[in-house]
Amino acid sequence: MTQADSIRRLFLPSIADLVKPSEIERQVLELFEQWRSPLLRYALSFGIPIHDAEEVVQESFLALFRHLQLRRSEKNLRAWIFRVTHNLALKQRYANQRYIDRSSADEADSKASFAEETLDPAPNPEEHLSAAQRRRRLLAVVEALPETDQECLRLRAEGLRYREIADVVGISLGSVSISLTRSLARLVRADGR
Amino acid sequence: MLRHDAQVSDTHVSDQELLLAADGELSTSRRALVQAHLAACWNCRARMAEMEATIADFARAHRENLDPQMPPIDGARALLRAQLSQLSAQSTSGLWQRVSHLATPDRASVLAFAMLLAVIAGGLLIRNSVRGEKRTTAAFSQMSPVPNRSLTPGVARIVSANDVCSMAHEEVVGEVSPLLREKVLREYGIVNAHPGEYEIDYLIAPGLGGEEDIRNLWPESYQSPTWNARVKDALEEHLHEMVCAGQVDLSTAQRDIATDWIAAYKKYFHSDRPLPLSSRVEIEKVPWLPES
Repeated sequence: MTQADSIRRLFLPSIADLVKPSEIERQVLELFEQWRSPLLRYALSFGIPIHDAEEVVQESFLALFRHLQLRRSEKNLRAWIFRVTHNLALKQRYANQRYIDRSSADEADSKASFAEETLDPAPNPEEHLSAAQRRRRLLAVVEALPETDQECLRLRAEGLRYREIADVVGISLGSVSISLTRSLARLVRADGR
Repeated sequence: MLRHDAQVSDTHVSDQELLLAADGELSTSRRALVQAHLAACWNCRARMAEMEATIADFARAHRENLDPQMPPIDGARALLRAQLSQLSAQSTSGLWQRVSHLATPDRASVLAFAMLLAVIAGGLLIRNSVRGEKRTTAAFSQMSPVPNRSLTPGVARIVSANDVCSMAHEEVVGEVSPLLREKVLREYGIVNAHPGEYEIDYLIAPGLGGEEDIRNLWPESYQSPTWNARVKDALEEHLHEMVCAGQVDLSTAQRDIATDWIAAYKKYFHSDRPLPLSSRVEIEKVPWLPES
């Protein structure tokens, strides 16, 4: 930061906001290139339709813009925006569920039984599984995990550190590592490794 | 911590601790013990590799499952761009305080216009995107694995080895702010580069007293076939441990890594080529590992 910048930040935050919106815009757009896909995948994994997920991600970046414009902390923006997406996706899912309560209950039933079918019979280690079969099996095992465990695993799959995951999901660092240890043990078992 | 000494040599490391070790979340002393155990214990190494491979497999499956249904980024980018410039315009005309929830009456028309833009822009961009990507990749492959010395001579704070060795995890990791990142890229003349393909790396790592200063930062490619960012990360960790173990003094470590980090790697690992991260797992094969 140049000296002029720090002086502006100290004494004239409101004027700085007015002068430099384009820089913040550019910063947000750059981060959009980087995080749009991970965030969209994460939003989708809450089971909301793609157009809702896209909207959630857009809203998250608008929130980021406001956050930066108000000169809030820039420390670990990645965890920050994942947390926003997490909350918005949950909210969206809740809103959707109010409309389709009954039909989704039926769907969930059939989904659960599908998961059981694909998991059973237990895999024989010597049996050769095609890549597509392995993929389906892994995903089915994950879908059967408790929700928080799924969230931790998906965030880890997007490259977040444990501390960031704890921050996004709202649990302790220790709980994150316990959750992941448990999920991984299950995945390893299902994979017949 | 000393009382763990005897334990670690004959007790296996728990899965949970292996995961934390992979994420750099153990205390320095505990980490040294776990690494010593891993170096000697095939069983724990295999378990760690298995867990990491499982997450990598899941990450791949997760992407392959969801990516096909994700629309191209162009439309969404155009929409965001339009919304942002609308917000900026509002804030410059002093309306900012009143629109904190984006509930302005003309939002619908902005959206409609942006959608139209998005469709047009999407069509144009998809046509050009393939060529654009190739250009970017070419820029990376030409990138040197060492920084430009006049732009990045390396800057360190005045600290003692004790300060460095008692640093909290966050300080050692040293995330570079997006703004500074942008400045470093511009300084190196990189435009339109894909953000995931390089690390804005500290020449002198924070764990060795390196400063978050543009003269200590440069864009380091993950793509370089041999001397890439992950190899340098291994060197930084190794040097940090050597400094904390009193095997190298801090100023020597700083000087060596700033002068020529590849030469420093060869010197401190006694190897002319990057080691396959031997006693630890093969980090470069695990795409989900964090970048920093």
